[in-house]
Amino acid sequence: MNRPLTAFLCFSMFLAIPAAAQYSPYFVTYDHHMEEPGNLEITTQSTVGIQKHDLPTYWAPLVELEYGATGWWSTSLYLEGASAPHDATVFTGYRLENRFKPLKRDHWINPVLYFEFENINEASRIQKEVVGHAEPSNETLSSLRGEKARELEGKLILSSNAKGWNFAENFIVEKNLTEDEGVEFGYSLGVYRPLATLASGTDCRLCRENFTAGVELYGGLGSTEQFGFSDTAHYIAPAIAWRASENSTIRFSPGFGLTTNGARTLLRFSYTYEISGFGSAVRNMFRGDK
Amino acid sequence: MRAALFLMLTCCAIAFAQQVKPIDPDWPVPEKAAQEQNPLSGKPELAAGGRKVFERTCAQCHGDTKHERKNNAPDLATPAVQQESDGSLFWRISNGNSRKGMPSFSNLPEPQRWQLVLYIRSLGTK
Repeated sequence: MNRPLTAFLCFSMFLAIPAAAQYSPYFVTYDHHMEEPGNLEITTQSTVGIQKHDLPTYWAPLVELEYGATGWWSTSLYLEGASAPHDATVFTGYRLENRFKPLKRDHWINPVLYFEFENINEASRIQKEVVGHAEPSNETLSSLRGEKARELEGKLILSSNAKGWNFAENFIVEKNLTEDEGVEFGYSLGVYRPLATLASGTDCRLCRENFTAGVELYGGLGSTEQFGFSDTAHYIAPAIAWRASENSTIRFSPGFGLTTNGARTLLRFSYTYEISGFGSAVRNMFRGDK
Repeated sequence: MRAALFLMLTCCAIAFAQQVKPIDPDWPVPEKAAQEQNPLSGKPELAAGGRKVFERTCAQCHGDTKHERKNNAPDLATPAVQQESDGSLFWRISNGNSRKGMPSFSNLPEPQRWQLVLYIRSLGTK
């Protein structure tokens, strides 16, 4: 096993001890809610891809560290890997993500601007977003890990809350800086609501108010070289989130492929742990405050 | 006499230091929103659920029995906050003030935000 992978797995195991705290059950779609200022959210997520055309099933784990820098700026680091039976387990790279909420208040439609730099390789399988075209490939992870892909990604996130429901629409553009494949496009739509809108006075874990459920629809829209739905992958994915404790959330989503391209099923599971007041704790540590 | 004056000045200084910061003038509540009535105002028993939501989402900045106040967040028991209408409190919870570090909590269902208002009201009577 190579050194970056060993380091990644050790890091994942360390982070998995505390693990999850978002309200939204989305895995791919973003809504307009930012991380609370000074809070650090640690997520471990797994995607299991069951493919078509007798291609092997893969497992793609990731670790996300998300920090609320201010009320209008959230920043994240992702470390990701991929594994397939009779193939290899590889570290597939890192991503740096920033989200900015330009408007001070909530409106009917709330825009958020998203920018991401990806330093990954072609073995990446986390499917954090689906863009461009999708062609079945039988290349192994071990052969793809050497093919670098530095990419810039932008999203326009639009999101609304109404009557307990959240509606979110994401429009995605992605440019691979290491290969000339034009600018790729994608989309993601999501809707969710909590199973109960009133909070009970008791400290319950399995009561309905601690669950949110929804559905996501996401896929590619081709590229500047060939825009449209041909040879693209699209998925529909019911999703559920359970707030397991005051600062941890467990989410699950089975995504079903709607087109001949792409995976048959994407099973996603995540655990998030939120550390409140992380920023001020770190500042106090350096100031020497007790 | 000097001691009494010193004591009085000290008390005034402490009271001044502890008073809530004036509400951001760039964060006005629209009149229509301020006039909204709390649909749960006839159900004070629902404040218990509001307390739970408060402890989960608000206490880390606004403080409670387990948490100190942080990030210049105002003490919600002070008259400056308690004088606000239910509609104003609801609007401020829903919209936040991202430039001053107050997140929007519109991701909470509306009834839970009204439950929060019920609970915040109960802080003023303690």
